[in-house]
Amino acid sequence: MQVATESQAPADLRALLTTRGQREGLLANLALLVITLFALLPIATTVLISFKREEDVTRKPPVVFPCDTPTSKFDLTACRWSIEGYERVVLPMPSPGSLLGFEIKGRMLNTYLPNTILYAISTALIVMVLAGMSGYAFSRYRFPGRDAMMIAILAITGVPLLTNLLALYQMGASIRHLAEGLYNDRVYIIIVYTGFFLPLSVWIAKGFFDAIPRELEEAALIDGCGPLGTLTRIVMPLVVPGLTAIFLLSFVSVWNEFIAGYLLITKNDLKPAMFGMYDFLGQNIINAQAVAAACIVIALPMIVVFLFARQSFFRAMVEGAIKG
Amino acid sequence: MTQLATAPPSGGRHTKRTKPHRRFDPLPFLLLLPTILVLLAIQVYPMFYTLVLSVQEREPSGWQFVGLKNFEILLDSRQLGESAGHTLIFLIGYATLTLTLGFIIALLLNRKSSLSGVYITLLFIPWILADIIAGVVFRLLVLPDYGLFSGVLQNPALFPPRGLSILTADAPRPWIGEFPFPPSPAMVYLILAATWRALPFITLLLLAALQTISNELIESSRIDGANRWQIARHIIIPLILPTMVVALFSLTLGGINGVGMVFSLTGGGPGTSTHVLSYLLYSIGWVSLDFGRAAALALILAAINLTLIAGTLRITRVQQRSI
Repeated sequence: MQVATESQAPADLRALLTTRGQREGLLANLALLVITLFALLPIATTVLISFKREEDVTRKPPVVFPCDTPTSKFDLTACRWSIEGYERVVLPMPSPGSLLGFEIKGRMLNTYLPNTILYAISTALIVMVLAGMSGYAFSRYRFPGRDAMMIAILAITGVPLLTNLLALYQMGASIRHLAEGLYNDRVYIIIVYTGFFLPLSVWIAKGFFDAIPRELEEAALIDGCGPLGTLTRIVMPLVVPGLTAIFLLSFVSVWNEFIAGYLLITKNDLKPAMFGMYDFLGQNIINAQAVAAACIVIALPMIVVFLFARQSFFRAMVEGAIKG
Repeated sequence: MTQLATAPPSGGRHTKRTKPHRRFDPLPFLLLLPTILVLLAIQVYPMFYTLVLSVQEREPSGWQFVGLKNFEILLDSRQLGESAGHTLIFLIGYATLTLTLGFIIALLLNRKSSLSGVYITLLFIPWILADIIAGVVFRLLVLPDYGLFSGVLQNPALFPPRGLSILTADAPRPWIGEFPFPPSPAMVYLILAATWRALPFITLLLLAALQTISNELIESSRIDGANRWQIARHIIIPLILPTMVVALFSLTLGGINGVGMVFSLTGGGPGTSTHVLSYLLYSIGWVSLDFGRAAALALILAAINLTLIAGTLRITRVQQRSI
């Protein structure tokens, strides 16, 4: 008797848990759906604004959809969508000789975004290579000062750009003053960005190298593969996902950086897209559709990169977050 | 760097050693050299340079040593106290809101339903946006008269007496002395916008910590009769507390030093109601062009930052040792 009731009770409990679990699962899903919609609401609104006309973004009271007519509040056939905002960003000028039939006169697209792409790719490449080298050294070698150096780099990870900005600005000015021919805004900002996004990447890289079993390398060494061959043929292919993650994380960090690009670069023509955005905001205070369109133009590439490579981002962030 | 100097030269006197094959290997140092050089130039040297700047003043004749005068002027100024108050209010609101919401969302996501991956991806999109962009996006929503939320917020029936225009409303009269509490509508809105952007990262951090808690532990305590609140209070929160503290420090660091959103969302205004310390640093340095005084402020901020970093390092190391 005793045995029977005891075996019965857990079974009932389990049945109770599954139904309760299912009900909770549904509620949790519902809650997450609401939270996700709330989180995406500002972005959706920006997309909406970017396709409105000037007369629809400057109405009092504001309308959500530009679809009202004198007779009806919402008429899908009467929607006044337009790409006016995007045109203000691109500023196409008819030019029969050029490839597209028009020339892009908007500074965002012909100046600031190319600058950002150059800075982001260069910095991400340098950070990836240097972080890979350092991560390998920290992961595979025991040498005097190793722990101290690792702690120092971890501490530097937390140092923000802001407090060093004054000194970096003065350093740039001094170099410009001392060696006018040698100084280059582009080179300087790439080195500054490298210095700021490298420390975290070193830690992430070390974590990725740590995850590769040493036995694999030792086996390769015993089989007659030289140290360099081991590195290039065995280790490298295994850390490609890790290095890709570092590249992407640095790329996005540079793309999104504002204050250093704004203050350290002296020539306006060499400033990045985030400065372009700030500048554009100042010029188009009431043209909300143009400001929204500029936001979409700058942010969309990053959203696309993220959606395609999200596993890479999560891997790098968890690796970096647990250590740092 | 110092290790390079103190270590025995490779191939030098290795014959004296008992294990000749364990002689000094320069390879790791060569691998680290570029990183160390970059970090010395961009991170370490500027810190000392800021120290030097903070005790100087720019005169027409050049830089003059003025001792602690910059610090005295800075500490005497009303601006510093005011901005520190704004920063404090911002940090408290932002950190509390982000940690609470992040914890709740992480708990919801931790159920490992088939849709979790989709939710994580979608919830993460705000994180990928630059702070400048996030600020502009939130600004567009509440533009005076024209923003989509302005229709509701500026309705006098809902927000007496004259409706609420977030970007232009004055700060309410402070309750205690000059401490800027209650905060201005613009400050509350700035906190919401900053939370929106920081939430995904904190959620992921807490989710990663939650996933290290074994299911058996939760399951067995449930069978032992613990209710959900007791499980959260006595099992989950103590186990992820170190991660929460790390998250709190990372939020505080980001909050003290983040400035892009202030630029694009409020520009420090209306009045000085969203003038935080990071914005004050910019305005002393690049608007007033007083680099000495700005360097003094940068040092104060750096001291706060280093304390936070040291705290984080301590917690993570204690955590690693206990595992």
